[in-house]
Amino acid sequence: MALEFIAEPTYLRSIIRVSLTVSLTAIVLSTLVSLPIAFVVGFAEFPGKRLLTAIINTGMGFPSVAVGLLVLLFISNDGPLGTLELVYTPEAMIISQCILAAPVITGVALSAVESVDDAVRDAAYGVGGTRTDVALITLKEARYGVITGILAGFGRAISEVGSVLIVGGNIAYADGTSKTRTITTAITFETRRGEFETALALGAVLIVLVLLVNGIVLRLGGR
Amino acid sequence: MNLEFTDVSYGVDDTEILTDISLALESGEIVTIIGPSGAGKTTLLRLAALFEQPTDGTIRCDGTDPWGLSRDDRLAIRRRIGMVFQQASLFDAPVARNVDIGRRVRRPWPQRIRGFLERLLPRRLDDSPAVDERTLEALELVGLRDAWDRDPASLSGGEAQRVSFARALAADPDLLVLDEPTSDLDPRNTAILERAIERAREHDHGVLLATHDMHQAERISDRVAFLLEGELVEVGPSDRVFENPRDERTARFVRGDLLYDDNELFA
Repeated sequence: MALEFIAEPTYLRSIIRVSLTVSLTAIVLSTLVSLPIAFVVGFAEFPGKRLLTAIINTGMGFPSVAVGLLVLLFISNDGPLGTLELVYTPEAMIISQCILAAPVITGVALSAVESVDDAVRDAAYGVGGTRTDVALITLKEARYGVITGILAGFGRAISEVGSVLIVGGNIAYADGTSKTRTITTAITFETRRGEFETALALGAVLIVLVLLVNGIVLRLGGR
Repeated sequence: MNLEFTDVSYGVDDTEILTDISLALESGEIVTIIGPSGAGKTTLLRLAALFEQPTDGTIRCDGTDPWGLSRDDRLAIRRRIGMVFQQASLFDAPVARNVDIGRRVRRPWPQRIRGFLERLLPRRLDDSPAVDERTLEALELVGLRDAWDRDPASLSGGEAQRVSFARALAADPDLLVLDEPTSDLDPRNTAILERAIERAREHDHGVLLATHDMHQAERISDRVAFLLEGELVEVGPSDRVFENPRDERTARFVRGDLLYDDNELFA
């Protein structure tokens, strides 16, 4: 069966394409939201900061099935976003993966930003830096932690099953190519069908993909 | 740059850290703040470097109150001041990039973005040298010209502090504010930094220095100010303060004769 699966590159390519498109889009969007939040919370002192940090940290452990259910309620026909007709679409999966990845990226990036010594920020200010310069220098000092956060978010997104199954539906077109079927939901599907070899092969593909993305990102980050 | 504190006070919440400080510093002059730990020396220096705004009183830089100016105008004044801290706090970048950071943050954004993009490419787009002469000159002043491509992690504590001094010098400030820059250094590194401080004075930079080293204060200062519990007890020429202090508390402090009585310092 595994050989059959390898002999069907169209099937495999479509699943990988959907998985990567959904997860990478979700990561880009959640990074754009998460990093400014991490910076504001990391830099500023305000009432409720500890509570907000606690909420972010709690969000890192959100049960994915519950998130999927909530997203489904929002995008279903009777929900506030019902008119957008997002149920069982890649866009719905992107939304749920964003919600799951954002607290991970925010929490790890916040921790990295807060771990930068105040003395480094003072030094950046002391050489004539503006607040923007201080933030950029802090970002640079915290870059490995920030990258780790983004990678952890990506890991959470691409390995996600529960919520994408609920909002995406694990749908394939009649020709077998994927509409909302991701590697993880395909593994679930193949396992339930008893196609363990195919499921294992897909699992190996998933691991290779995660390793590849980690390697590229770490390389770009200079590590 | 001439710096003038007039009746400056500073506090956080209900705690007053500095009270009615009046002190002046002229170009080409080294003024040293001495005093026990917790006296407010670092706070005074942070006010001088415009890190903090006084809660009362006025600071004037060449006759102008920077806190009465717009943020951009104040930034222009702040960029004439270089600060060196007790800890080197070097950035995670080669020595040369640490030293030229002050000049890089002053460049216009298009130039900075171009520099950033160039660094992302495997090879630079232009043929400009990896390190410019101004950076090397600043490093030479602290005896580290050949260390420009070293990683900060490979530097000794003394070398790192000398790099942080070069970082302040490279932006060519009119005023240097130095917070115990030699407190963790051996005699050789201390001597190198003191020589660099004196060279800065020769180039007409003003220097405001805080130190716990009484010999250093006596050696390199033009004037000395004794700060105790947030108040300036005495300010005067270095020779006079050390040889003939007018205040008994100053005399006892410079002799290393701290006395506690009923938990009251200098009671």
